[in-house]
Amino acid sequence: MTDCGCEKAKAELEEYLHNELRGEDASDIQEHLAHCGDCSDEHLVGRTLTEAVQRACRETAPEDLRDQVLLKLRTIQSAH
Amino acid sequence: MALSMVLERPSVFEVDEVESSVMTTDATDLRDLFEEQALPFIDQLYAAAMRMTRNPSDAQDLVQETFVKAFAAFKQFEQGTNLKAWLYRILTNTFINTYRKKQREPYQGTIDDLEDWQLGGAESTTAMASRSAEAEAIDHLPDSAVKDALQSIPEDFRLAVYFADVEGFSYQEIAEIMKTPIGTVMSRLHRGRRLLRDLLSGYALERGLGTIATGHTQTGSTSA
Repeated sequence: MTDCGCEKAKAELEEYLHNELRGEDASDIQEHLAHCGDCSDEHLVGRTLTEAVQRACRETAPEDLRDQVLLKLRTIQSAH
Repeated sequence: MALSMVLERPSVFEVDEVESSVMTTDATDLRDLFEEQALPFIDQLYAAAMRMTRNPSDAQDLVQETFVKAFAAFKQFEQGTNLKAWLYRILTNTFINTYRKKQREPYQGTIDDLEDWQLGGAESTTAMASRSAEAEAIDHLPDSAVKDALQSIPEDFRLAVYFADVEGFSYQEIAEIMKTPIGTVMSRLHRGRRLLRDLLSGYALERGLGTIATGHTQTGSTSA
């Protein structure tokens, strides 16, 4: 572990990753990451995890789902 | 004379007719507006529904139901506020109220109270050669492995991770969608991501990914 800032950085890394930190809090972490290999590796794992989940979860709705939804909305409306 | 006029009440019907024709125009406008604003979210909602229900047929039903409910409530939607979060709230509610029961999952209500060791998932990262090796290994896993891992973590954790990492919702928005305090959202996210990471690292290690790339090769491992 490096001398200072790691504990704070580790505790806030996830919030940093999710853009929940603002202003000084964010820039503190940013600065720490630039100088601490351990924390920036940890951050890399976090980012990679997010990207892997994003990639795996991509889906396109089946073609006919949109048509079914439209039809349903029209049916509901004409019933009123 | 006066009494018979009251009894006939012709004016009421006239008003009704006028109103209903006005409403038809309004309603058509409303539907157009709804279709224009809400329908573009269909792919995203379907993707979320897939992670919730775990199968395409239930996911399609869930999305349809979500749009029907959203349309019925669309008059109450305040234009200019976050439509995407609003739709996700309806999707999540619908899922919890209908599909979760149908799937007969073990009761999830106390998942937040469970200790980490009770959830399984060990600190497998120690087995990784390094954090950068771990990142690389996770990066190389097939989508199916990531989906399997997501599917195997507790549902509330899975949804929190999905909302934050895939949809990019803020913690505040997730708190509103899941109807929980923000602290619970953070805890679910943290624990969910921890479990996911351990599962994926473990999976990578099983496949011989993430170990130090020294000269010796593991038996049965394929050459890179």
